[in-house]
Amino acid sequence: MTAPSPRAGTRRPRPLLMIAVYAALSVATAAVLYPVLLVIKKAFEPGRQFALSASPVPEDVTLEHFRGLLGQRGAGGELAFLQHALASVAVALATTLVGIALACTAAYALSRFRFPGRRTALTTFLVVQMFPASLLMLPLYVLLDQLHLLNSLTGLVLVYSTTAIPFCVWTLKGYFDGLPRELLEAARVDGAGPARIFFTIVLPLARPGIAVTALFSFMTAWNEFIMASTFLTDEGKYTLPVLLQSSVGQFSADWGRFAAGALVTSVPVMVLFYVLQKYLVGGLTAGAVKG
Amino acid sequence: MTSTPPPRPPVRSALRDAAVAAFALWLVLFTAFVRHRNHELADRERARAQAAAAAVAAGEAPLHATSALGVVLPAEPDPRHPFLARRAVVDAAGTRALGGAEAPAADKLLYDAAARFDREGPFVGLLTDGSGRAVAAIATPRGPAIAVTAPPGSPAGLPWLMMIGLLGLGAALVTAGALSGRGALGVGAGLAVLVVPAWMWGGVALAAVAGGVAAAVAVAHGRGATERLAAGLIAHRVALSFLTPAAVAMAVLVLVPFLVGLVIGFYDHQHGTWTFVGLDNFARILSGDGRAFDDPLNFWFILGVTVLWTGANVLFHVVIGTTLALALRQPWLRARGLFRVLLIVPWAIPNYITALIWKGMFQGEYGAINSLLEGVGVGGVSWFSSWATAFAANVATNTWLGFPFMMVVALGALESIPRDLYEAAEVDGASAWQRLTQITLPHLRPALAPAVILGSIWTFNMFNVIYLVSGGKPGGSTDILVTDAYRWAFERGERYGMAAALGTIIFLILLLWTVFGTRVTRRTEEAP
Repeated sequence: MTAPSPRAGTRRPRPLLMIAVYAALSVATAAVLYPVLLVIKKAFEPGRQFALSASPVPEDVTLEHFRGLLGQRGAGGELAFLQHALASVAVALATTLVGIALACTAAYALSRFRFPGRRTALTTFLVVQMFPASLLMLPLYVLLDQLHLLNSLTGLVLVYSTTAIPFCVWTLKGYFDGLPRELLEAARVDGAGPARIFFTIVLPLARPGIAVTALFSFMTAWNEFIMASTFLTDEGKYTLPVLLQSSVGQFSADWGRFAAGALVTSVPVMVLFYVLQKYLVGGLTAGAVKG
Repeated sequence: MTSTPPPRPPVRSALRDAAVAAFALWLVLFTAFVRHRNHELADRERARAQAAAAAVAAGEAPLHATSALGVVLPAEPDPRHPFLARRAVVDAAGTRALGGAEAPAADKLLYDAAARFDREGPFVGLLTDGSGRAVAAIATPRGPAIAVTAPPGSPAGLPWLMMIGLLGLGAALVTAGALSGRGALGVGAGLAVLVVPAWMWGGVALAAVAGGVAAAVAVAHGRGATERLAAGLIAHRVALSFLTPAAVAMAVLVLVPFLVGLVIGFYDHQHGTWTFVGLDNFARILSGDGRAFDDPLNFWFILGVTVLWTGANVLFHVVIGTTLALALRQPWLRARGLFRVLLIVPWAIPNYITALIWKGMFQGEYGAINSLLEGVGVGGVSWFSSWATAFAANVATNTWLGFPFMMVVALGALESIPRDLYEAAEVDGASAWQRLTQITLPHLRPALAPAVILGSIWTFNMFNVIYLVSGGKPGGSTDILVTDAYRWAFERGERYGMAAALGTIIFLILLLWTVFGTRVTRRTEEAP
């Protein structure tokens, strides 16, 4: 395989290379799509068993799993899936808002200002990524208990948004680093204060970066299940991951319902990814290269 | 924008330093006060219960109000239901049976206390219902004399007058010191008055802390360090105020729990009681707990599995991700956008769902993977009954869900390589292979290095895949350090101390790795 060259487009590529490239991409795409197709198949195929054959084409099509999933009733007769989905959406959106608000300001400070302790702060944001959850969970449990935030979605939002902050700060800092310095300097000369510069120039310019970072915050909350299952004791408050995981518990695995739930849960994130994929590349690079 | 500030009047700067230090000290003192007050209250209630029980034993009326009291007679089998033990109580009103429909609720307290007395002998202690009541039992010839105190009134309030007085005195000392030209002495003396409440509420240790803080602040003030710090804070106030919200949130919800977690590692937790054991947990973990090195529960075995797991995954992520990124960058490629979108899909699927899907695919004799293998003529494999296959199943799952991240990072890095480099290389007659090894890969490295470090940290701590796919099977041999720590905390009798100690070790390993990794990265970046 070779690196691109500016005039390569006009030149005929060597056939061997072409075959190799298309083969690699096709094999990888097939490997990526196969499990996804199996899940789609299971979601529409009757029966509780999973993947009894290698074929990703369903033999019979039914909507019973979706009906069962959406019609599932909780202890109080409420529509369980809808309720948990709402809880999950609320937690994820709140996490995104809080996480982005905190990460944007911190990243701006770290990107635009030189002050003593800046390196320490940057290192700290990197180091906290290494804290294993097993070390934090018990103290967090006690802390939330003291704050009367155990078994509450607010507590979950607080925990999620702080765990999302470090990565968001690094990514956003990369974006802010890339903004044209002259523009901000000009605004400052024109008499704009730091808050005004931040809100009217930096934030609008960094919109793609913020969108990508928001996606990561959203995913942190949308995908997490260990803390959710530890901190939430009231079944009515479970978020979707906890609900889904329990549907294929050890004793009564209902893969059909799980597959339907997995599809419904994954689709929103996949749509967000599709919309934001253009920025994904630039955003991560900015964060990674200039780190 | 940082010009040196004009010199401040000495009184103002001395008062400011003393006030900041006093505020911080008061936060600590306040906690000490609450602790001290609660201990005092508990002691008083216990003494009251003891005195009341003694009064009951002597046949007198207790001095203080009580919730329940009396001499409880030994348990006798119920005549109708011999498996029930009945007790009677003798109090001022005479003898009556304990419990029953008409009985006061406090009878339960007497009954439980009598049962405890039978097991442990005389005792005194606080009720565990959080009401602040104490219970005492002392022996008499007929049976234990038991007294439960009445709920105490509200606890003593903060001594405001004393606080205001001390702060006033301190401020006067600071001002006097600053006016007489001995600012450092004034600050030290003004803060030293706080040693008194520290000693009253926290004993010698806290008094020493308060004294140390007073001396340190005095020295810092005398050398102008606080002045410089204040000037720095003012000069960088914009940056710091932007940073503060995130910093506070991180401190409260990440750093504090982290420190608490570190401390827990020095304790042993069994059946709800905490005992300080020093370095025992660490010694136990690092010595392998007396197990052989090939025992799946030996720390070094698990560490080996974890390192292998991390290495294999990161290697696959980087190789597959970079290869696909290079393929996607071919200028003549058709359907590039489609390939890219499809290849990112695993990243968009929640990783617990991925893990469960792959578990399903590996499961059973007729799972999807086994059916595929049979299609190419290989017999079915029982994936989770041997270490190698279970480990391979985990790695396959994690490779699937992790390579898109590296691919996206590599794609971004490829885009940032200046095109004229390739032009120049081509003019110079460099072959495709030379362009790859001389231009592309060296330019990829600085972008990939941080991603590799980050990715290895994530993989090292990747709980979901291990826990949900192989679940440690067979026999815990595919567990990695984080899942083992989780099992210590929640599956082996809530041994939180062991879990926290293991967590600390994990953190230290990752810290070393990052420090080492960034060193190497920086050196390679500086080298060319």
